[in-house]
Amino acid sequence: MRSDFTDFLRAVRGPLGAIALTMALGFLLVASISDEPVLAYRELLFANFDSLSNFALFLNRATPLVLIAVGITFAFRAGVFNVGGEGQLFAGAIATTVFSIVFSGLPAIVLFPLAIAAGILGGALLGWIPGVLKVRLGVDEVVVTFMLNTIALLFTSYLVNQVIRDTTAYGAVSWMVPEKIWLPTIPGIPGATSGFIIAAVLSLASWVVLFRTKWGAEVRAAGTNLRYAEAVGIAAGGRVIWAMLIAGGFAGLAGALYVLGIGHRFEQNFSPEYGLVALTCALLARIHPAAALFTSLYYAMMLNGAAYMQISTEVPRSLVDLLTGLLVLLMTARFTLRRRSGQTSGAF
Amino acid sequence: MSIESLLASVLEQSTPLVLAALAAMITLRANILNVAVEGMMLVAAFSAIAVGALTDSAFIGFWAGLAGAIFASLVFSTMTLRFGAGFIVAGLGINLLAAGGTLFALERYYNSPGGLRPIAFPDIWHVPEGSLSFIPVIGPAIEGQSIIVFLTVLAVPACWVFLYRTPTGAYLRAAGEDEHAARSAGIDVVRMKALAVTISGLLAGLAGTQLAMDKLHFFLPDMTAGRGFIGLAATLFGAGQPWMTAGAAVLFGFFGALGDRLQAFDIPAQFVLMLPYVAAILALALARWRIHVRNKPSKL
Amino acid sequence: MTTDENILVLKGIAKRFGDKVALEHVDLQVRRGEVHVLCGENGAGKSTLMNILVGIHSPDGGQIILDGKGVTIADPLIASALGIGMVHQHFTLVPSMSVAENLFLGRHIRRYGIFSDRRAMNERARELIDNYKFALDPEARVSTLSVGQRQRVEILKALAFEAKLLILDEPTAVLTPPEVDELLKVIASLRERGRTVVFITHKLREVKAVSDRVTVLRQGRSISTHITTDVSEEDIARDMVGRDVFLTGREGQPERSFGGAVLELDNVTITNSAGRLILDSIDLEVRAGEVLGIAGVDGNGQTELAEAIAGLMPIQAGSIRLAGDDITADTVAERQAAGLGFVPEDRLDRGLSSDMSIAENMAATNYERYGVLRKGYVDRGRLNAFTEDGIKRFDIRGAKPKIPVGTLSGGNMQKVVLAREFARDPKVLLISQPTRGLDIGASEFVYSQVLSAADKGNGVLLISSELSEIFALSDRIAVIYSGRIMQVLERNEADEETVGILMNGGKRQVA
Repeated sequence: MRSDFTDFLRAVRGPLGAIALTMALGFLLVASISDEPVLAYRELLFANFDSLSNFALFLNRATPLVLIAVGITFAFRAGVFNVGGEGQLFAGAIATTVFSIVFSGLPAIVLFPLAIAAGILGGALLGWIPGVLKVRLGVDEVVVTFMLNTIALLFTSYLVNQVIRDTTAYGAVSWMVPEKIWLPTIPGIPGATSGFIIAAVLSLASWVVLFRTKWGAEVRAAGTNLRYAEAVGIAAGGRVIWAMLIAGGFAGLAGALYVLGIGHRFEQNFSPEYGLVALTCALLARIHPAAALFTSLYYAMMLNGAAYMQISTEVPRSLVDLLTGLLVLLMTARFTLRRRSGQTSGAF
Repeated sequence: MSIESLLASVLEQSTPLVLAALAAMITLRANILNVAVEGMMLVAAFSAIAVGALTDSAFIGFWAGLAGAIFASLVFSTMTLRFGAGFIVAGLGINLLAAGGTLFALERYYNSPGGLRPIAFPDIWHVPEGSLSFIPVIGPAIEGQSIIVFLTVLAVPACWVFLYRTPTGAYLRAAGEDEHAARSAGIDVVRMKALAVTISGLLAGLAGTQLAMDKLHFFLPDMTAGRGFIGLAATLFGAGQPWMTAGAAVLFGFFGALGDRLQAFDIPAQFVLMLPYVAAILALALARWRIHVRNKPSKL
Repeated sequence: MTTDENILVLKGIAKRFGDKVALEHVDLQVRRGEVHVLCGENGAGKSTLMNILVGIHSPDGGQIILDGKGVTIADPLIASALGIGMVHQHFTLVPSMSVAENLFLGRHIRRYGIFSDRRAMNERARELIDNYKFALDPEARVSTLSVGQRQRVEILKALAFEAKLLILDEPTAVLTPPEVDELLKVIASLRERGRTVVFITHKLREVKAVSDRVTVLRQGRSISTHITTDVSEEDIARDMVGRDVFLTGREGQPERSFGGAVLELDNVTITNSAGRLILDSIDLEVRAGEVLGIAGVDGNGQTELAEAIAGLMPIQAGSIRLAGDDITADTVAERQAAGLGFVPEDRLDRGLSSDMSIAENMAATNYERYGVLRKGYVDRGRLNAFTEDGIKRFDIRGAKPKIPVGTLSGGNMQKVVLAREFARDPKVLLISQPTRGLDIGASEFVYSQVLSAADKGNGVLLISSELSEIFALSDRIAVIYSGRIMQVLERNEADEETVGILMNGGKRQVA
């Protein structure tokens, strides 16, 4: 339908504008410090597709981002500002690792699903805490989820340094998980984890669940107006907690799939702040699970592209961190030529 | 371990937390949940070290730290109040931009992504050792503390006086509590919010400067380590009242200092470092739980 | 007529917000020392006009002449400097601050240039309070005051700075009848002191006694100005709506007969955390085909009564039965499934999720019906059909299933709530403040829907603080005061005076 298409255009106009503006500002910055700004940007955006192995790394980068970002859409749709993706990711990764190492004797057919479940539960637990505190006591979730990130990071650091550390390896890494439960790669793309397929399927499934089922409508009702949701007979508090369990579970699954499919062990520094980047992707996708798939792919491209850019030109890869900050800052702003009303004048 | 050194350590650990908490408090009173304190602190720490090393002047470094944080706060208020960005999202943006921007500067201009460690760095003014040893317990604890610690001690009553005893403070609270009422009394609500954000920039600047310039004399990419959020937790715990908020921040600082002591007992460092964060979550939950219980209908 | 006898003259004032025309062309002349009533429906532009006068909005066109001089009112401080004071419909007081601090908000008395001089402000506030003989403590926190006291603070705030012209925006809406009497005395005494008062209301009856002239606004235009004693309420109503109005309900209809009890409340009791009784042993019975009206001043337990019946607030004692079954322990959803329809008092609070679409709001309690849900999935086609049907039957203007419900006007939002609740054909309809904030046209529609629900044999529990509404719709009238049902009256034995006395906690009459 035509109106659907114009709705779609209207919805993507804002995010695309923010991306374009950020990329333009970034280009100016690159041009000011490099002689080869065009080459730098080519590397940043397109080096991911130069070879099959680059492309595989790109998909591997995208996998955790997609899962966490889709999980975050559940939390945000339920009205919970969940900035705890990073902690939930770590909880999932460490739970899967510990479980796989401790029960490495189990046959693969049993160990594999249990290891995945352990990761999901680990992440869900960390999502449950802020959810239940918010619903039952009204504790601010932004602060709690942020604190839990630090706590999860410290706790995993303890485990990987003192308990399950691979003493033969350099750096804070755990023992390898048994090879029998490693995720296979995607056929035809050597090195690309099949976890990406899982992530992509879940993103589309989440779209259906959130926007095409009664349960999804109830979660969104609870998120937009809790008192209304109660009045129309929705167990709103329960829906919010479930949404947080799912958000944590998705991030935990991201950790599990990373360990089983990419790292094959827990590495303390495996995440370039996946949690915050995924939050950015979810916000950029206007809290839509299917759109989050695309914004996560865009960000995976940027994260890996930054490394190629640094190799080819002297532009530091942290350019991407800087651009992320700019993007988040600009994302929800409304740039209108007119001042909104007389009252805003005089402040600056 | 002596009481004096524990007290000194509590003072040291609490100072950035109290400042961060006051920064979040002033904005909370203008009805803004300010998650950008973290980023403002980081900008302050970086500019204090970078400028201090460049000019070899602690004085200039100190002011550069404040100026950096205030600049960040102006970016924050412009994006939110002028361009209508969401306060939490834009606040996170400030944090990300501060982290990314400082890292970018480290890589690009200092060629050391690990941090900025000037070989020589001028000292900010500290209370001379031995000058107060005639006062029992408290004297030795105060010795060696920086000027910013004293500014912090003054900042708490100053915030109270500002909020409750000046017209501007009253207008700021009115703007935060009931925008409609403030507006019809002729108060420029947007200007009050911008003022609150700027004051929080100043306080966060002090916090970041203290963090970098007091003992360490270097900058690390992640050196604020969530202190802005602990400050925010202290503010929520203290319900936006200056004394309660500062008290909560000192409590969290105490847990940090206690943690340092516990390291002597073979407790893994990670658990010790966790202590203030766990304390903050528990304190927030406890504060809300008390309100929850109080509002329950009484039994017949 | 010379300009001198007019303190305020408006000529051709116009104002638009975006595409919406709020004021098209308003002329108004207010004479010095008179009480001038400004009447109009919701949305006629009364509040916009007054906000222009106090500098909150600026007009797009027209002229404001104050004391014979053209003026531009750019912000509220200029308005108060010009001697225009306003008492808003929604109070503009900061609850955590004292009476004195509120009086001086935006213009604190300073000491040493930077500090607030609290003592001076308290003293000045005390003088003002004494001067107007209001019973108020300047140091009391506003949050501890009653609604009537708060309104007096508002009036003082407007008068504090020598207002020549005092504007009152719907001041009676929040007051109990004795508080309204107090307010009218205050206004009479202000007129004696030579102050000019502009009184905005849609309830002309209340202020007829103290007003001199009345101007009617309709759809952003000034329609007519009359001397109050020369016009009837019907004339005013016709001017307001632009046609004859039939806000009639059961009056004059023959005796109706009812079925058995469909909703029974037995000893329903709620206390708050301090142990105070919010609902005190409520016994009520609604029969099939009957409208039972709950009359009372806002804040006497009506909100809690509705929430308790809907299942949103736990009760400490008593029981509730719906069609004979005990539903006391049931959840909200179970009560709805058992045949309860609930129209909450505030549609934006409990009634709707304004960010979600009209379709999702209308379907919220109806997914299991009309085949909207198939194998767990929402059938978009059926959802649309269901919504389109509701939009048609309830004449919801400007509505399409997919647009957010928050973009509708108040009346059309209320129709969405009604469409949702009526779709289940509930045995018992619990409907609270159904026409609050609606214009007369929408109110007529709501009335007809409520009455037809009763005619179909459903029981209706109507909670309203508008006495005229209670009288128009109810078969029996229960009066609530301070959490207690004072008395239940048959329609033919109830008159406004009796009900009014009971609403104020007057003695129960022996029927």
